[in-house]
Amino acid sequence: MHDMRFTLPGQDLNREPFALKPPDFQKKCEVMITDRGYKCRLTNIVTISSQEKLFLLRIINPQERELFNFRPGQFLMLEVPGYGEAPISISSDNSNHEFIEICIRKAGHVTSAMFEAKQGAVVSIRGPFGTAFPMEAMEGSNVLLVAGGLGIAPVRAPLYWIGNHRDRYKNVYLLYGAKEPSQLLFSYQFEEWKKVSKVELMTIVENPDASWAGRTGMITELFNDFSFDAKKTFAIVCGPPVMFKFVCNYLDGKGIPMNRMFVSLERRMHCGMGKCCRCMVGSTFTCLDGPVFDYWSVMNLKEAI
Amino acid sequence: MNHLGFKIDKVKIASFDFTCCEGCQLQLANKESTLPAFLGLLDIRNFREISSERYDDYDIALIEGSITRSDEIERLKAIRAQAKVLVAFGSCACFGGVNSLKNKIPGEEAVRGVYGDKTVQTMPSTKISDIVPVDLMIPGCPVSKAEVERIIVGVVTRAPNNLPKYPVCVDCKQKLNTCLFDLGEVCLGPVTKAGCDAVCPTGKTVCLGCRGPADDMNFPSFIQIVKEKGLSLDEMHEKLAFYNGFADFLDHES
Amino acid sequence: MIYKVISKTEFRKFIDALVKHNTAYGPRAVDTGKDGKPIYQFMPVTSADEIDFDYTVTHSSAKHLFLPYRDELSRFRFNDEDWEQEVRYEAPPLILIGLRPCDINAINILDEVMLHGPYPSPYYLARRKNTFIIGMDHLPLPDCFCKSMNRHTVNHGFNLFCSDIGDKYYLSINSSKAYTFLKEFMLEEPSYEDNCLLIERRKTIKQSFTTNIEVTGLPVFLDIEFDSPIWQKWGDKCLSCGSCAMVCPTCYCYSVEERFDVDLKGSSRQNHLYSCNLIDFAQVAGGHNFRPRNGDRLKYRYYHHYRGFAANDNQQICVGCNRCGRACLADINPKDVINDLRLERESCMICVSPSPDRT
Ligand SMILES: Cc1cc2nc3c(=O)[nH]c(=O)nc-3n(C[C@H](O)[C@H](O)[C@H](O)COP(=O)(O)OP(=O)(O)OC[C@H]3O[C@@H](n4cnc5c(N)ncnc54)[C@H](O)[C@@H]3O)c2cc1C
Ligand code: SF4
Ligand code: SF4
Ligand code: SF4
Ligand code: SF4
Ligand code: SF4
Ligand code: FES
Repeated sequence: MHDMRFTLPGQDLNREPFALKPPDFQKKCEVMITDRGYKCRLTNIVTISSQEKLFLLRIINPQERELFNFRPGQFLMLEVPGYGEAPISISSDNSNHEFIEICIRKAGHVTSAMFEAKQGAVVSIRGPFGTAFPMEAMEGSNVLLVAGGLGIAPVRAPLYWIGNHRDRYKNVYLLYGAKEPSQLLFSYQFEEWKKVSKVELMTIVENPDASWAGRTGMITELFNDFSFDAKKTFAIVCGPPVMFKFVCNYLDGKGIPMNRMFVSLERRMHCGMGKCCRCMVGSTFTCLDGPVFDYWSVMNLKEAI
Repeated sequence: MNHLGFKIDKVKIASFDFTCCEGCQLQLANKESTLPAFLGLLDIRNFREISSERYDDYDIALIEGSITRSDEIERLKAIRAQAKVLVAFGSCACFGGVNSLKNKIPGEEAVRGVYGDKTVQTMPSTKISDIVPVDLMIPGCPVSKAEVERIIVGVVTRAPNNLPKYPVCVDCKQKLNTCLFDLGEVCLGPVTKAGCDAVCPTGKTVCLGCRGPADDMNFPSFIQIVKEKGLSLDEMHEKLAFYNGFADFLDHES
Repeated sequence: MIYKVISKTEFRKFIDALVKHNTAYGPRAVDTGKDGKPIYQFMPVTSADEIDFDYTVTHSSAKHLFLPYRDELSRFRFNDEDWEQEVRYEAPPLILIGLRPCDINAINILDEVMLHGPYPSPYYLARRKNTFIIGMDHLPLPDCFCKSMNRHTVNHGFNLFCSDIGDKYYLSINSSKAYTFLKEFMLEEPSYEDNCLLIERRKTIKQSFTTNIEVTGLPVFLDIEFDSPIWQKWGDKCLSCGSCAMVCPTCYCYSVEERFDVDLKGSSRQNHLYSCNLIDFAQVAGGHNFRPRNGDRLKYRYYHHYRGFAANDNQQICVGCNRCGRACLADINPKDVINDLRLERESCMICVSPSPDRT
């Protein structure tokens, strides 16, 4: 009797060394590392408010460090061994290959574990994932950056980009609002953004305290303070959904075309690769077709806001 | 252990039983391959089933059983004052449990039925959270060893574990069980919180809801289904009342 | 594809030899329902006698053999401040007997989703490549509607497909592996008569469908009806129990959890098949739930199945097996929901006056 046990080509697959093959995120390929991250060391941890910390990550393997290229607006999946994964926006300068910065608010398992982690701890990242802000398309125009609360984290990446290529953009405005003065993050960088990156920075808080001398109210108040040429302006809006709805509607009224306003959506994510379906908005995956969407698409997505 | 740069310490734990069968505590002491590792996480300060030592400097208190006597209330409040994390352990502690069956008959009658003419002080069987705030619930009759381990590991590693929010049917279907409704029985799986791996339907007995209601479960639709399938509503009510987990829904209904 | 015929007795011998030497799954009666009819599931089999070749349909699909309900994605081992990650894509060879055309089509759809996107799943690929699939046709049950979805025939995605032509099976051999195995057995070239019988069989099957659902234009329709009150009506019945998704051959979404080992020396990252019907599917950190009501979630399942997602070219992923309808205690099934939706629209069209005159 013939031996009926069989091995299909797939068997060889199990023997293929997956270990250090760099993932090719652009090209379709048959097999890739979908579940192995890049090991990173937390080289620095800065407490920037009572709820948020800034982490500096350095990919340990130099080869992988070189391979990790992202564009402003993309996110990564942060793995804290034992605790799980969470999608986090990349909040740093994409020309800096040495360090990746992420800003985290304590919200659940993974984020709390990050709050406990000490300098030198080893975590891992997968990615980068998702769409980016179209920085090239914005060249030659004004750029209006609007950030509410933790929305400043994803906005820092395009800010750095603009700082690196300042001559390509006309006027750049950063409107930044928070609930309380103490929740205005990265205040230590305000001067740098104003002086070095030549960004017109305007801040506002909802509930001022005794020390606050600036503007008070909702972020849309700031639009009364200056005027800009809506026809020649792109907008990047990051913050809670209610905020970007207000802001985008306002800007729409001002005359910025909807496809020149970009927002970053937030959804539950378990894979980052278009498999788990947790991040669906309407018929679209936030992890593949987002998180950056133009406002026209957002308006046309079911359940987006 | 020193993971991610922060030390993971043993937790100081104590266990207290009120009115119950102690089955849940025994479940913990059951000899299994993970027992040594599990005990390794704990600094046992007071735990009758596992150790004879008694100390009062615990951080985590497991409360087993329901409250049926007024002196138990004082004891419970004292424990609450000491414990940083108070865990309602088992269905009796979480919902009142099987003990609640006696709530349906007047107190004196119950006493006479059990103790004859002796005078025994009693009160309706009460769940822990009616008396003191509860931090974590581990429902089950008895509790599932795997879930207890998961939750205690969560406490130790400071990553609090949530119970599943969905109903037992999910796990039951994943075990490829034949649905007991298809065999003409009333099963409480669709309204009961998962986490037990659907042990009862897997063993071909209906779920009696020992883990209490699933989050936002659809009670009106469930009753409708039982009616439409021509199954007995009385039987359904009896099952829902068994562990007292559905008391809020039943009160609402009447 | 090579076509042959084989007598049923010889076919049993072939299956017997195959399952004796390999891990195999086939349809078996596991219970008898209230109505006296057997309930089937794909179960491990070790001899041809254990297989119910003339089964009707299995209660659950065979998807969990490709996408296990719970699967370890990777493992971490801690050593003081550092750790190592271990990822394994191992899949033992498996033989799967008796899949219906809709079941094979469902696997083809899963291939599309799992392998053809920008991030192919190696876990799925390993299992898919190591599975030998033997399909079998059958007469539809009264509630099967795969013909409406155009999934009642299949021409790829299997190694061997058997059409029942009386006391013989008409074999479509779709892999050299299958052909090599079959060489050991008595096969015949299909005669003119066999060919006629095959065509006759296909015709009978096609004409036996009694449930039909109108799905043309459904994707647009679902977009338009996104806010229809129909969803709340059905949502009020829905138990949010996920049974429909668990038995469905094409529901694939999952949840990822990571757990420490009890000895704290490592941890395991696992995925767990989930369902968009479950309460916390779209809940984000901070507690906000993007689909808080039963109706929102139920709608979502229909949206995924009959509108399709951008990732797989907006294809409808339902194959029309009606397993979800049979498993649902609340009697929610695609036929009734879709008809209800269409009815609502049509009655609405009647009462809406034609576009106002331009003045
Ligand atoms: C594209 C994108 C970019 C993002 N960028 C950032 C960023 O730059 N910075 C940032 O801080 N966040 C960011 N987020 C949000 C971040 O992903 C979430 O805060 C994070 O996933 C929370 O993960 P966790 O493991 O800490 O929470 P989990 O524990 O996984 O919590 C997840 C869910 O469980 C619930 N939950 C958690 N704990 C409990 C509990 N104890 N009891 C009951 N329910 C609970 C939560 O409500 C939530 O629904 C981003 C999200 C997306 C999608
Ligand atoms: S047996 Fe019970 S738990 Fe299992 S599917 Fe049926 S109703 Fe749900
Ligand atoms: S199946 Fe129901 S009764 Fe049985 S252990 Fe689970 S929750 Fe309790
Ligand atoms: S449709 Fe039916 S099977 Fe699906 S979740 Fe709702 S009640 Fe459960
Ligand atoms: S329909 Fe729902 S349950 Fe099924 S795969 Fe899609 S998201 Fe998951
Ligand atoms: S949605 Fe229902 S009918 Fe369609 S494939 Fe899934 S189980 Fe079958
Ligand atoms: S995160 Fe899994 S599909 Fe988008």
